[in-house]
Amino acid sequence: MLLSIVIFLPLLGVIAIALLRGLGASAIKGIALVVSLLTFLISIGLYTGFEAGIDGFQTDAQLYQKLPWIEGLGISYHIGIDGISLWLVLLTTFLTPICILAAWNSVEKGLSGFMMSLLALETGMLGVFCALDLFLFFVFWESMLIPMYFLIGIWGGERRIYATIKFVLYTMAGSALMLVGILALYFQNGNSFDLVTLLATEGTFDHSYLLFLAFFIAFAIKVPLFPFHTWLPDAHVEAPTVGSVILAGVLLKMGTYGIVRFCLPLFPDAAAKATPWIVPLAIIGIIYGALVAMVQPDLKKLVAYSSVSHLGFVVLGLFSKSHLGIQGSVLQMINHGLSTGALFLLVGMIYERRHSRMIVDFGGLAKKMPIFATIFLIVTLSSIGLPGLNGFVGEFMILLGSFVGGAFSKWYVVFATTGVILAAVYMLWMFQRVMFGTPDNTNASLPDLKPREIVVLLPILLFIVWIGVHPNTFLKPMKASVGVVAKKVKVNESDNTPAVGQIIDGETQDAVQEVKTATLQIIEEEAQTE
Amino acid sequence: MPSEIPDINWSLLMPQLVIVSTLLIVLVFDMIDSISKKTLGWMTIVGAVIALWASINLLQAGTDQTQFNDMFRIDSYSLFFNIIFLVSTILVALISISYLGKGDKKQGPYYLLILLATLGMMLMAAGNELIIIFLGLELMSLSLYVLAGYFRESPASSEAGMKYLLLGAFASAFFLYGIALIYGAAGTTSIPGIAEKLTTESQSPLLLAGTFLLIVGFGFKVAIVPFHQWAPDVYEGAPTTIAAFISAGPKAAGFAAFIRIFMEALPDIQSEWTGVIVLLAMLTMTVGNVIAIAQTNIKRMLAYSSIAHAGYVLIGLAAANDDGTSSAMLYLLVYCVMNIGAFGAVILARTADGESLTISDYAGLGFRKPLLSGFLTLMLLSLAGFPLTAGFFGKFYIFKSAVQAAVQPDVVNTWLVTLVIVGAINTAISAFYYLRVVVTMYMREPEEELEFNSYPSPLVIGLVLAAIGVLLIGILPSLLLNPAQNAVL
Repeated sequence: MLLSIVIFLPLLGVIAIALLRGLGASAIKGIALVVSLLTFLISIGLYTGFEAGIDGFQTDAQLYQKLPWIEGLGISYHIGIDGISLWLVLLTTFLTPICILAAWNSVEKGLSGFMMSLLALETGMLGVFCALDLFLFFVFWESMLIPMYFLIGIWGGERRIYATIKFVLYTMAGSALMLVGILALYFQNGNSFDLVTLLATEGTFDHSYLLFLAFFIAFAIKVPLFPFHTWLPDAHVEAPTVGSVILAGVLLKMGTYGIVRFCLPLFPDAAAKATPWIVPLAIIGIIYGALVAMVQPDLKKLVAYSSVSHLGFVVLGLFSKSHLGIQGSVLQMINHGLSTGALFLLVGMIYERRHSRMIVDFGGLAKKMPIFATIFLIVTLSSIGLPGLNGFVGEFMILLGSFVGGAFSKWYVVFATTGVILAAVYMLWMFQRVMFGTPDNTNASLPDLKPREIVVLLPILLFIVWIGVHPNTFLKPMKASVGVVAKKVKVNESDNTPAVGQIIDGETQDAVQEVKTATLQIIEEEAQTE
Repeated sequence: MPSEIPDINWSLLMPQLVIVSTLLIVLVFDMIDSISKKTLGWMTIVGAVIALWASINLLQAGTDQTQFNDMFRIDSYSLFFNIIFLVSTILVALISISYLGKGDKKQGPYYLLILLATLGMMLMAAGNELIIIFLGLELMSLSLYVLAGYFRESPASSEAGMKYLLLGAFASAFFLYGIALIYGAAGTTSIPGIAEKLTTESQSPLLLAGTFLLIVGFGFKVAIVPFHQWAPDVYEGAPTTIAAFISAGPKAAGFAAFIRIFMEALPDIQSEWTGVIVLLAMLTMTVGNVIAIAQTNIKRMLAYSSIAHAGYVLIGLAAANDDGTSSAMLYLLVYCVMNIGAFGAVILARTADGESLTISDYAGLGFRKPLLSGFLTLMLLSLAGFPLTAGFFGKFYIFKSAVQAAVQPDVVNTWLVTLVIVGAINTAISAFYYLRVVVTMYMREPEEELEFNSYPSPLVIGLVLAAIGVLLIGILPSLLLNPAQNAVL
């Protein structure tokens, strides 16, 4: 019941705004903020009511619900969360109020429509992460397109119409195939769309290779995995700041979430066959995204391409099919949502002041905007993966998991690791050009962050540090759920890697200690086998 | 053989009788000058609502009987189609009242012809006999030819009427020839009779030729590629309300007879015709959607979109299973509501001195006319098949039936799988041009300020009903799914 409230409360906000929009701009903004904050506060109840030990989906009635919907076709309103979706749900409810606050003064026309789109989008995204019925999942997956389409298309930049249509058509083309896959699964699941029984199915589905592809292409477009990434820079650059934050923060995660929720556990044999194809694509994405980001003159485009690179890591970790790698990927989804979301917010804030996003237009901002520069630095370092901040933990787990647990050549991981170095190059180089040097007259007159903007950024910084210092808060609840996926995908492979997942059990150790223990144990086991 | 007077249960014929009486009443009242011509429109609506109520009652009672020496069959299949026709008629009458009101047009014959066409459609759906189906088809078509050319002063309307008449007459000829050949092969024109003969006697080339002529005839009537060329011209030239009407009820009627003949009379040569239907469906969807992208006139765009939608319905026929039939029926009802809704919004968006028919005229409408734009957006999203609209569930159900027929545990029918994938990709293609209208309304600035008509109330009632229907079926599809699943042949 609690989960339903979280999902549909934003939709109530949409209706409230539609009815009360005559009250003026501040009332609209007030309703939107209150509704989204309330959603966030209620969603904390999901965390407190969460049982970390349970394999798969939570059984608590507050976090699980199944009602008949379209009985004639075996479709039910079936929602629930596990350790993977819990964090994505919380990320969504966390970022939405931040976005509403960030857009406080930047929407000039159609404010009510903007806030309604944002809240409707929140319902759509939460639904995607919570749906346990394939039909329901597809409904949320597609319906979230419409508000995003309006967000980019109405409030976006100059080439917004091109960008928004490209975004919608790419996604629809992918989801059209997924729909066929969903239907084909339906008949193998005893005429039901129930994900829980699908996941419990022993053995492989008929035509599993085709079904895997039907699902995977839809998700790969969303992630986006190279070479399906071309919609992303357009959408990011043309979207309003808040649109970019949601896009990078949550929408892209729907792709990786789909992979870990459907592609891997439902079709482990097909996933095993496809791994030699997908892993190189992920690594090309990591390096290509980083190289292209390096040469971007536009701040927003740079961040957009860095997303391609970061999401490449996530896909790599998922297809390492090791417990540690998948866990790192899930954590990295959250990390990327926080860091890249914050980067887009910062770029948006500076754009509002300078009306330019070109790196050449900036320089010397650190002198005049110390608070901005400090926050920007922390976020930049988090995105690069500095130990002690969130990005490091996720990337390290992914790389280690792929290196020792991945069913592919270790050289792949070596190549992937260069992405970390390249990230440092493009991010720090950008930081240097924007922040250091002597400011020209225009830049010298830019005001520093306002209190509202600091309030927007501080919560993100809190979690950036929290995950970096004590990732166990986040890793522990997801461990059992990741274990279910990892066990499923391991079924058909000769597995000689150490069960690295177990090391994460040590709750009292800090993160660095944990990873150290993990590494030592792996080295030991490697030595033994030789 | 002495013929007996058949024992007729008139209560089963209530829907048809109500329409006939309404028709006569409209005819009489049209002659009385002191009566406002708008009243005729409302009479039509009241008559259709009563007929709708009667049909729903019969449907709920689970009626399945034949009348007139087995020539006329009142089963849940024909009753469900009655609902489709009557809903279309009601919506079209609602959007017509104010549309005709603007000029000094004669209105009596207009409603008379709409009712006649409706009666023809009901005959087609209930025909248990090829001749009855042909009678219904002609009754419907002849009324539509006149309606398409109803604005005599407009050359476009006259051209539309003429073109429709000529091509429609060809189609009827093909259809009649097909009936003749099938009669030659089976020795009967009764649908159950044909099915019976086919199981016992060898299948002659005569029968196959007849079957394909029937496909050509129906192909013209429901505008399947490559028999679709009349549709865009007729839709563009005909009065907009009639374009809405032709694209809805008559298309459903064509499919009603199409599906009944093929599923009931010709199931034994199914392997012969499914291949053709699969090809036609792919061609229809793809050609319709691709050409629709290039249109600048919204009526032509909707014409090509309506061609594409006939392709989706054909998927249901190609699946050739129970769910295929009921999904085609459900889709036709949903399609009628959303398509008439879209045409209604186009009528509502008229400028004070005419109609704004090019898509670019819609620029900036989103913020100036929020209600109208909201309606049109909802209808277009439903046509494009976005979730939580009726159009999504309709398409979903059609694809489901085809996948069910295609993917058997031991064998996969690659043709059907390809068909479903083509259909799914076509959905994405169609989103492009439907969304383009939405883009124009909300995301482009207007080039010139246009004067708009005030909202006429019957039209708004029609649009509100359509919008409620689209959302209600989108969110609670069971309301329609259960009757449709029970109404299979």
